[in-house]
Amino acid sequence: MNRDIVHRWQFRQSPEIVWEHLTKPELLSQWLMANDIKPEVGHKFRFTTNPLLKFGFDGIVYCEVLEVDPPKRLSYSWKGGPGNGKIALDSLVTWTLTLKDGGTELLLEHTGFSGMKNYFGYLMMKNGWGSKIRKRLGALLAGPGK
Amino acid sequence: MDAFQAIADPSRREILRLLSRDTMTINALADNFDMSRPAVSKHIKALDSAGLISIQNIGKERYCILNQEGFDELQEWIDYFDTFWKSKLKKLEMLLNEKAGK
Repeated sequence: MNRDIVHRWQFRQSPEIVWEHLTKPELLSQWLMANDIKPEVGHKFRFTTNPLLKFGFDGIVYCEVLEVDPPKRLSYSWKGGPGNGKIALDSLVTWTLTLKDGGTELLLEHTGFSGMKNYFGYLMMKNGWGSKIRKRLGALLAGPGK
Repeated sequence: MDAFQAIADPSRREILRLLSRDTMTINALADNFDMSRPAVSKHIKALDSAGLISIQNIGKERYCILNQEGFDELQEWIDYFDTFWKSKLKKLEMLLNEKAGK
């Protein structure tokens, strides 16, 4: 099972222009979601969108800026859940911008998906789940490269 | 009820734990609990509706089987975001090109 999302995208525009569209709330909201991002390490912000009831997601993505290196690299945590401060999805989004052919190659990595994994890990430790379920859930419970 | 709500209850976790060892009939499951049979049935229905187990009629008995698909919610989430990002990046490309064209 593939746990990491990786997308590479080529833009004709310079890294500086693409960077602005990743870090300015009014520009970012034009293509992603309403937000209050600031490219400052430690800044906590939110994306807001429609809830996805099927996944137990209330429509708010809670983020914290972890890395800023303009106009090359930006990363933030990406957490969501059903509300009441419960976090079901805990992941990481990293943007890497590279000057290429007079434009920008934008690399998006959305990784570290956990949540369900942690929850079941906790249950297994707590209840000592048998080897059968460990095997059945093996693909799900094993983290990337572990 | 979603998978998270379903596994929040200790009795339902115990049912899942028992089913992780083997498929069991509803009657056999109920023998493991002090609560009434209808109460156990209610928990089994909750797990069934959350997609964590399925119930199959074999002969006269109703068997409960751990349903792995119910545990694949995370994979669905990952698949969802994969498509999500693809469409968003496409949108960014269109937005940038639109601005460059002006």
